Amino acid sequence: MPIIVKNLTFTYSAGTPYEKKALENINLQINEGDFLGIIGHTGSGKSTFIQHINGLIKPQSGEIEIFDIKLSSAKRPKVDLRALRSQVGMVFQYPEYQLFADTVEKDVAFGPKNLGLSSEEIDCRVRRAIEMVGLDYEAVKDRAPFELSGGQKRRVAIAGIIAMQPKMLILDEPTAGLDPFGKEQILNLIKYLKTHCSPTIVVISHDIDEITRFANRIVVFNDSRIVYDEPMQKLFKHTADLQRMGLDIPRAVKVVNALRAGGVDLGEDIVTAEELLRAIINRYNEKYSTQIDESAGVFDMYDFSQKWLTSEERAELGLSTAVPVEEVKEISKKPNKKFGSKSDKKSKLSKKNVKSKNSQQEDKK
Amino acid sequence: MAVLLDNVTYSYNINDTHRIDAVKQLSLHIEEGTFVALVGHNGSGKSTLAKLLNGLLLPTSGDVKIFGNSTLDPEKIYEIRKNVGMVFQNPDNQMIASIVEDDIAFGPENLGVPREEIIERVEWALSKVEMSQYRKRTPFKMSGGQKQRLAIAGVLAIKPKILVLDESTAMLDPQGRKEVLKVAHELNKEDGITVIHITHFMEEALDADRLIVMNGGKIAFDSTPREVFKKYEDLKAIKLAVPWETQMAISLKKAGIDLGEGIVNEKELVDSLCRLL
Repeated sequence: MPIIVKNLTFTYSAGTPYEKKALENINLQINEGDFLGIIGHTGSGKSTFIQHINGLIKPQSGEIEIFDIKLSSAKRPKVDLRALRSQVGMVFQYPEYQLFADTVEKDVAFGPKNLGLSSEEIDCRVRRAIEMVGLDYEAVKDRAPFELSGGQKRRVAIAGIIAMQPKMLILDEPTAGLDPFGKEQILNLIKYLKTHCSPTIVVISHDIDEITRFANRIVVFNDSRIVYDEPMQKLFKHTADLQRMGLDIPRAVKVVNALRAGGVDLGEDIVTAEELLRAIINRYNEKYSTQIDESAGVFDMYDFSQKWLTSEERAELGLSTAVPVEEVKEISKKPNKKFGSKSDKKSKLSKKNVKSKNSQQEDKK
Repeated sequence: MAVLLDNVTYSYNINDTHRIDAVKQLSLHIEEGTFVALVGHNGSGKSTLAKLLNGLLLPTSGDVKIFGNSTLDPEKIYEIRKNVGMVFQNPDNQMIASIVEDDIAFGPENLGVPREEIIERVEWALSKVEMSQYRKRTPFKMSGGQKQRLAIAGVLAIKPKILVLDESTAMLDPQGRKEVLKVAHELNKEDGITVIHITHFMEEALDADRLIVMNGGKIAFDSTPREVFKKYEDLKAIKLAVPWETQMAISLKKAGIDLGEGIVNEKELVDSLCRLL
């Protein structure tokens, strides 16, 4: 049983004019294998809650038990926070802002190094983590993280957490600010990590259509309390109440409700696009006596489902293993004097860059 | 003509020997009073294009003209920046004062606007974004949507004719996104401000007069949103997606259930499903 939270209450700036209650009597049990979605309006307490689970905030009252580590307001016994954090991996909002090392490899290695592992073990974990997030280890390990695209940077940041091999992963708004392509890659990555890395995953998101694509259970925070804790398919019976709290409901649910109001009842428990597609196909078959197969309904918004595989898997499937390199061309004119007069070391470096980029382009061909 | 780009290229030098063309030989004109949505995946050149519009970046070749003034003309650059107001992605990076009205007054103060007029402009700008009651408050404890509306008010106080929203909705929650979009559309309709809204979200482009899709530093599509959404296969190929409802109609069509062309929102999807089922 990974996590049990009992009667957790937390107040910011208690005893000052800025006093603000963030959590009120929270009781929650997160089971091994849960794919838990947490939703709630801005300021509803969800971020304060997950910071407790990672030991970043100490409980003011109440208890938390995480993998046999007990957190409470008591000063003793001292909590082994290192053990806790190596088991609960936390991916914050915009995790790429926390990248700091000059190469991808060093950045990902930072966490495992602090766990005091052997250098062989660290190397092995770093390679595995980078490949797990769908980047080509050889191609990116020596590159500066800042050279990569937004989506790639975020995956490097997630690799840094995975390299700690946590039993449980918490992600706060993992797709915020990315373009649709980057979003899709991260969503696929999270699903992949569920089976290949951390069996228990908690995701906080404002995008309900995103959460319904993988969660099996949803917890709703409102005004510092948990107001709903239900299996994903059952939650949206409370549509009116959720909307009153300022929360979005899935598009498929909106369509089903609007159809029902228009006299077409597709039934209960339709939450995702695929479920809606199947329900429409079945209804159509009934009405027009056709026999369209349910599986013909594929909601493929994006055409790049393979991009997040590891390089081995990509090779197996006969896909290119190279990480896309942006289109780069050589400057024909002589370099600016101001920059050109730098030390030899730099020009050697750039020559090396030219070489590796050319050879990558050849590989692609 | 509010905006005119003539064969514009912009190249970044990534090191001594290599460069990338972020915008390539791009020509474009935008008439005054248009609401333009500009979409494209990361790295497609849309933010570079935005920065070219008010001379934050100058074209490597070609010419950018705002109401006839070239951004390459140093004597006109301040007039151009007065005309082209920009709001960026992160609202926290755009607040400079600890009190809302001071923050809004910053722009006109720097232009040497008389005090009485500054007060008028601050009031007007705050009422435009529906934030008048927050005049004396501090912006730091506000929601993302509120902060972003303040950022817009700060730009409005300079009385620009063109408002560029460079992914200004990307960091907001769904509620905040709605607030900002609503304000942008009102400014366009009521005050005739030309709006260029850069976004990742296709559904935010729905109500625009014109949708420009960028790819590889060039314009891939430029038409009404409905026309552009018909090219869903091509959009997919450049890492973009059509609105959810359009995709639903497409998926049904592939399965053999034809709802007809041109479904772009929930009402249209529900209406055609009601007729069919």
